[in-house]
Amino acid sequence: MQCECANRSSDLSLLDDVLNAYAAVPGSLITILQQAQAIYGYLPMDVIYHVADKTGSTPAKVLGVATFYTQFRFQPVGKYLIMLCNGTACHVNGSERVAKAICDYLQIDDGGTSADGLFSFSIVACLGCCSLSPVMMINEETYGNLTPEKAVSILQTLREQEGVS
Amino acid sequence: MSYRVVVGQGSCGIAAGAAKVYDVLADALSQSDVTLHIAGCIGMCWLEPIVDIYCDDALAMRLVKMNAEAAKAVADACKAGDLSALVPYAITEEDAAFLSQQTRIVLRNCGIIDPESLESALQAGAYTALSKVLSAEDGMSPEAVIACIKESGLAGRGGAGFPTWFKWNAARQSAGEEKYLICNADEGDPGAFMDRAVIESDPHALIEGMLIGAYAIGAKEAVVYVRAEYPLAIKRLNAAIEQARQAGFVGQNIMGSGFSCEFRVKAGAGAFVCGEETALIESLEGKRGMPRLKPPFPAAAGYWQQPSNINNVETFANVAWIINHGGAAFAAMGTERSKGTKVFALTGKIKRGGLVEIPMGKTLRDVIFGIGGGIRDGRAFQAVQMGGPSGGCIPAALLDTVIDYQALAATGAIMGSGGMVVMDDTTCMVAMAKFFLDFTAKESCGKCVHCRIGTKRMQEILARMTEGKGEAGDIELLEELCLAVKDGALCGLGQTAPNPVLSAIRYFRPQFEAHVMEQRCPAHACTALLQYHIDADACRGCTLCAKKCPVHAISGEVKSAHVIDRSVCIRCGQCKASCKFGAIIVE
Amino acid sequence: MSNMITMTINGKICQCEAGCSILQAAAINGLEIPSLCNDASVKAYGACGMCAVEVLDNGSGKPLPKLLRACSAKAVNGYVVRYDTDRVNQARKIALELLMSDHIGDCVAPCSLTCPAGTDCQGYVKQIAQGDYHKAMEIVKEKLPLPASIGRVCPHPCEKQCRRGLVEAPISIAQLKAFAADRDLECDTYRAQCAPESGKRVAVVGGGPAGLTAAYFLRRKGHAVTVLDAAQKMGGMLRYGIPAYRLPKPVLDREIEEIAATGVVLQNGVRLGEDITLEQLRSDYDAVILAVGAWQSMQMGCTGEDLEGVIGGITFLHDISSGEGTRPDLRGKSVAVCGGGNTAMDACRSAVRCGAENVYVIYRRTREEMPADPVEIAESMEEGALYKYLTNPAEILGENGKVKAVKLQVMELGEPDASGRRSPVPVAGKFEVLPVDMVIMAIGQKLFPEGLSGIALTRKGTIAADEATFATNLENVFAIGDATNRGADIAIAAIGEANRCADVVDSALRGAMQPVKQPFLSKRVVTAEMLADRLKIARCQMPTRDAAVRRHDFEEVNLGLTEETARAEAKRCLECGCHDYADCKLIRYANQQEIHPERLAGQKRAAEMERKLECIERNSGKCILCGLCVRVCEEEAKQGILGLVGRGFTTVIRPEFREAATIAVCKECRKCVSLCPTGALKLLEF
Repeated sequence: MQCECANRSSDLSLLDDVLNAYAAVPGSLITILQQAQAIYGYLPMDVIYHVADKTGSTPAKVLGVATFYTQFRFQPVGKYLIMLCNGTACHVNGSERVAKAICDYLQIDDGGTSADGLFSFSIVACLGCCSLSPVMMINEETYGNLTPEKAVSILQTLREQEGVS
Repeated sequence: MSYRVVVGQGSCGIAAGAAKVYDVLADALSQSDVTLHIAGCIGMCWLEPIVDIYCDDALAMRLVKMNAEAAKAVADACKAGDLSALVPYAITEEDAAFLSQQTRIVLRNCGIIDPESLESALQAGAYTALSKVLSAEDGMSPEAVIACIKESGLAGRGGAGFPTWFKWNAARQSAGEEKYLICNADEGDPGAFMDRAVIESDPHALIEGMLIGAYAIGAKEAVVYVRAEYPLAIKRLNAAIEQARQAGFVGQNIMGSGFSCEFRVKAGAGAFVCGEETALIESLEGKRGMPRLKPPFPAAAGYWQQPSNINNVETFANVAWIINHGGAAFAAMGTERSKGTKVFALTGKIKRGGLVEIPMGKTLRDVIFGIGGGIRDGRAFQAVQMGGPSGGCIPAALLDTVIDYQALAATGAIMGSGGMVVMDDTTCMVAMAKFFLDFTAKESCGKCVHCRIGTKRMQEILARMTEGKGEAGDIELLEELCLAVKDGALCGLGQTAPNPVLSAIRYFRPQFEAHVMEQRCPAHACTALLQYHIDADACRGCTLCAKKCPVHAISGEVKSAHVIDRSVCIRCGQCKASCKFGAIIVE
Repeated sequence: MSNMITMTINGKICQCEAGCSILQAAAINGLEIPSLCNDASVKAYGACGMCAVEVLDNGSGKPLPKLLRACSAKAVNGYVVRYDTDRVNQARKIALELLMSDHIGDCVAPCSLTCPAGTDCQGYVKQIAQGDYHKAMEIVKEKLPLPASIGRVCPHPCEKQCRRGLVEAPISIAQLKAFAADRDLECDTYRAQCAPESGKRVAVVGGGPAGLTAAYFLRRKGHAVTVLDAAQKMGGMLRYGIPAYRLPKPVLDREIEEIAATGVVLQNGVRLGEDITLEQLRSDYDAVILAVGAWQSMQMGCTGEDLEGVIGGITFLHDISSGEGTRPDLRGKSVAVCGGGNTAMDACRSAVRCGAENVYVIYRRTREEMPADPVEIAESMEEGALYKYLTNPAEILGENGKVKAVKLQVMELGEPDASGRRSPVPVAGKFEVLPVDMVIMAIGQKLFPEGLSGIALTRKGTIAADEATFATNLENVFAIGDATNRGADIAIAAIGEANRCADVVDSALRGAMQPVKQPFLSKRVVTAEMLADRLKIARCQMPTRDAAVRRHDFEEVNLGLTEETARAEAKRCLECGCHDYADCKLIRYANQQEIHPERLAGQKRAAEMERKLECIERNSGKCILCGLCVRVCEEEAKQGILGLVGRGFTTVIRPEFREAATIAVCKECRKCVSLCPTGALKLLEF
């Protein structure tokens, strides 16, 4: 889980507001990490150390919490984070084939980021949109009733919007 | 005559295109006196996006499967004052029956009121129960509230079905200055989404239920733990809490009663085990969500080691209704041992999938075939999965099982939080069991040996079965492991993880045997066990399949029957999909 | 007292204060409920599932339906609790099988596992590296009372499995043992304490390595032991079969003295069947161990074997080796030695030393297939032995009743047989005649069954002894070594049997015979790739006397290792076996149940070695995630340096810190290492 970018330095001042608001509030570690991830896109090691310092915790504890939850990432992700639901309903309705189509199209595996850095892909627990299964979320937008073809065409559209062909 | 247009905007509605419909309507109606509103989710997911047109506060027309073009037509019709052009979009009687067969208490306002408007909620009766409880003249004591809940027979809707009054009473009786009321909105069961729908559609119902609960146990702080995967729910809940605070329903000295309660929303970060109450508390405290040893139970030492009570969203959403209508009215519904209604998320291979709220005591058949319309695409019902990774599959023979906690438990499934995933005969029950073990093995927190390694080993055994590598004795080994993990795991996640496997073996043992003994998948779902070959009589030698085959496993001359080399075939199914003559046979 | 709880645990009435867990209640009353994740210094955690208990009576006559975790369940007045019921054992067994199915490590190093006597090679090699030869001998003599002798003669199967061989060459384990034993024999020789006298008497027939070893260990266990041997002196094959240039007899004498010093009575010149009968022994002693060896050379079955000048290997070596009789004068003679094992080597090299002009080794296969130690082959060649590979005696030709020549059938290698060795097949009609004066048959030995009336034999003509108890068909008579079952084997194999037999006999003498049970051990597979990062260090070379000189006498060939060489050699050891094996709770509990983790075999976590804390090495493969290290670091040491990383099956425990000062704190504290129930944490020397 520890990434190669451990030595890269992040602009820790971006976290000041968050720490001012939550560092002293007991039990806020997850909230702080969520906001840190919103700022940096992932959790760099120096941010983890910084949060440990400022919250009176230890790096081991902060890393322990961060690595427990699937929401937290330790590598930079693409501009679009594709989360494909693997809930029961989506599974029954063919999410596996959708996953394969996405992976083939982006030439990545679950958890990977496409070569152009535009897309990251992960298969996630139920998104709670079972009646539209199979479902994926791209950033905060939900796409339902997917077929392998439909999923790929959504990604193609996003690529076109970004001026990548 | 004034029109009010309401666009259903739950997460699923939005995913189906409701936002776009709303934008078109907003644009087209901006210069008119037709008002445009949003609502939450009505639960008829297969018909989304849905637009309701109210005329003088009465529902005039419910339009389904809307799109941008239809939205324009709606705007035009409303402005013209003639809805007749919209008839083609109107819901059919058959579909409308989905709603009329239900009894809605939890979902009473869902899809009707505007979830972002306190005013809309108040019009629908929000906070009347709270004011009844806190009323200076004829208010209710905390004990009276608990007695009313006891009379109602309300039981925890999160799955275990523990009597709500008992937990409240235990927390009330516990000594402690600080007490906490916690709402578990970490709806992790894959296949369940009623809690999301309630928060997105009627957040004040949850807040009111929690306030009454907090009053009953003596808590001054209420926390809602919501899954991070539910951004819209978090947004609407936060907004609703702020509105309630502004209106004096939340905060200090609520409605002048002297009762104070602060609210907080905590977003989960992705861990199914946090649905277990002690793990949830650990997570709330900013720690790894690993279950605690019990005892002590949360009612004695929970959040920050203080007396705490945890219920889920649906449980709280019942409370205001019970206070308003009395415990007896609630207890009048249901069976001898299970009272009130239950919400189900009906999904899978069902014709009409969505949210269904029915009184306890109906049968599974009533829900699946009566309300849900049965299996889609004309296939046969095989099983319904209830309770997700903690539950089990119920076969066709038990479709007349009555919905109550005990009757469902007797089948090997559980009531669970209400996920009901319907499977037809194309679903392999071995692969289904593997799916759930994939899930629990991945979600195991790793603390106790039985769950960490036991679920992993179960998953591996199931995986080898579906890959044609099963060995004699695997079914028995799997059963032995299941019982050991059930008995030995530390928390509910581990203790119930074997249920999907045990129930699948119980009802579908021949499928397991076919996988292990004959390397055969009767449902033709496990690709590693499929054999493709070409029916020489049906094949016209068009060469299309040979061209499509990604591994060049198909050979043959033009206009003569082709052959698949099974040693090369990767069973991708592209040949079958491409063949126009139905000549590709899968066994 | 009202705040005291009284309950019954495993039948024992236990009292404790209210609020105690059942586990604490048991501990207070001297009972150990198994637990891997619990310790008094930290809060209860509930991870391992070991402490499951069954409540048979909840105080009002009813059992509890579910098993309880004793670490969290409170003691309750009137509870009747057991932690040894079938249900509890079954639960614990599965938990242990699950743990073991994901445990990567070697309890015991492959060298020790391979050693037929199970000597703790890694243990004594480590002591040698540290220069403590006395301590090394203490370790060796737990399994083997003749280390100076065996270190010289053992073909050391241990070295074949030594993982250092995957790097460059195995540790020179046997020579190190001999080195340390010699040092220890010089002065202040290690002597084990004997247990108090048991009052039981044991007779051991045969004073070879098996008999002496059995006697030694039974004596240590407090029994009165007498060894009876037909020969003039004790030592058996070590004395009469192994030539002095390999094992100087004073070394053997010295080691036998040490055995005698423990109180073992040694009686020579007593031949079973002649001087005393088995029946007499059975009536005079509480137990009899037969360790009579295999003293008869096998015959080839070819024509001419009855000619004068044809002699069995064992017979040939007997007088030469002991130095007791006269050595044959073979000057100017040609000698053929038939066979390819170590006896053949001893015979050919002895023949050279007796002055033979030509010494031929006749072997049906090639050098590749020869079972003899390669060092022996090489040294015999240096000394002038000539090898006739792919030949087999077809007939021994004589003149006037004396050997004149041997007719050899020329062979070629055919298909590999079941054991993988390519079997020799005769080349039709191709023969060779080799003029010789003497033919030594060194193709195997067998039991000479004298004085064994009443003892059941196997079809091979050896004594039939039970594999697990060494018991013969006669009550209180046991049998070990070359005389039994599969017949002759190497000395260390006989010693291993003797050691185990001593345990069985001891248990029998104390009232309940316990058969030998192989303990469950965790084992792992290691490949050369996994050791690719190790620095290559050449194996030590044993200095030897020059071949041209040594071929004329029976003085020891090897000159011995210098201390410097020995210690450097010992330091090459990779220490494959777990440092914590003796104290490991996991393996202790595992051996209390009949566990079969292989049925639950599946993916294992990666075994990573991590030394970020400098003073502590963490092996994730051995970690059972009990969390004790993490908890003690946080709760007791108040540091929070260790943390769980990840979730579920792939969770690992790692230190995470930024300040270098942390390392100094850890060097002082080390609480995590002392609490680790397995060998996942190891203190490094710093």
